[in-house]
Amino acid sequence: MSFDPETVAAFVDGELDDLTARRIERAAGTDAALAAEIVRHRALRAQLAEHFAPICDEPVPERLRSLLADGPKLDTSLADRRAARRSRFSTLHWGAIAASLVLGLTIGLRPWIPAADVQTDNGALIAAGSLARALETQLASNQSSDAAVRIGVSFEDKAGRYCRSFESPGLDGIGCREGDHWRLEQTLAGEGSGDYRQASSGELAAAAAAMMRRDALDARGERAARDAGWISRP
Amino acid sequence: MRFEEELIELLPRLRRFARGLARDASDADDLCQAAIERALKSRDQWQQGTRLDSWMYRITRNLWIDERRAAGRRGVHSPIDDAVTQVAGDGAAEVEAGALRGDVDGAMARLPDEQREIVMLILVEGYAYREAAEILDVPIGTVTSRLARGRETLMFYLGEAA
Repeated sequence: MSFDPETVAAFVDGELDDLTARRIERAAGTDAALAAEIVRHRALRAQLAEHFAPICDEPVPERLRSLLADGPKLDTSLADRRAARRSRFSTLHWGAIAASLVLGLTIGLRPWIPAADVQTDNGALIAAGSLARALETQLASNQSSDAAVRIGVSFEDKAGRYCRSFESPGLDGIGCREGDHWRLEQTLAGEGSGDYRQASSGELAAAAAAMMRRDALDARGERAARDAGWISRP
Repeated sequence: MRFEEELIELLPRLRRFARGLARDASDADDLCQAAIERALKSRDQWQQGTRLDSWMYRITRNLWIDERRAAGRRGVHSPIDDAVTQVAGDGAAEVEAGALRGDVDGAMARLPDEQREIVMLILVEGYAYREAAEILDVPIGTVTSRLARGRETLMFYLGEAA
């Protein structure tokens, strides 16, 4: 392996400069030992994140909340968050739609993506593990800012299925509900520098826009669809 | 946004961090409570425009360290200190590692405090090395070396199930 262990760890932690990170990404394509080492580190991060994530979803005990809450004020911040989310997805890069469709086909899965979150079923990619759980239950409107999987936009596609875009440490993409699983329609390798991730969320938003039958679900629609088990309406 | 509102938003994450440090759920909430009370008392020391989360994590972690030291002086039994890791090819450790496969809490309990707090900050809370170094007030080289040792131990105990 051509990189020392601390460099590989720093790569997985997103601590390397773009140039070195790209060199590692390239090298991992041909160096199986390096790719395996990256998988090992990603898997540890994913396992820890998954283990501790449920704590964030627990209701905060009243004895803590009451130290801070002395009036109605959460409404403002919720409205702020909604506004921020709307603006994030309203500036779609339409020019990238075609490109993103091609990317979805060509980049696909990388060998070092933690296997636990993705399975194949008759050649189709299916979300599993924490990714499946996030797609099934997590609401964009109240996910913690550092959730391992971040849900972007939820919508009905032209076939009437519910689909949701997501970003995660190993993989970004769009999952569409089919039967009782989430089929991954668009996938982009989700690692790399901040710049790369921003580019990829623009592409994802554009790809999502191209798939939508009507407008994306708002927070209420998202919650209602989740509570109804993502069963698509005829 | 008001100070209290920002703190409320932080609470879910802060509880997670505290759980990683204290391990026991109600101890962790006690720690959070102490941290919130400290923060409210010393809110003048927080500078608007700087990150409230880092400031809160630092308060929480310092309170926890104080408590650990006080408990140590009182001679309170500390399972973590007893469980300082023995990673190098020792038969008993191998067996233990097998038993711990998939048990994240068990593996985390085997980390010394100073490695566990760094694992929590970087691998769970997602802070950059430099941010973790600032929260803990240690040089960045200390962060990377403790992180490397903590990781190695976790991978050993969690193995391929990781």
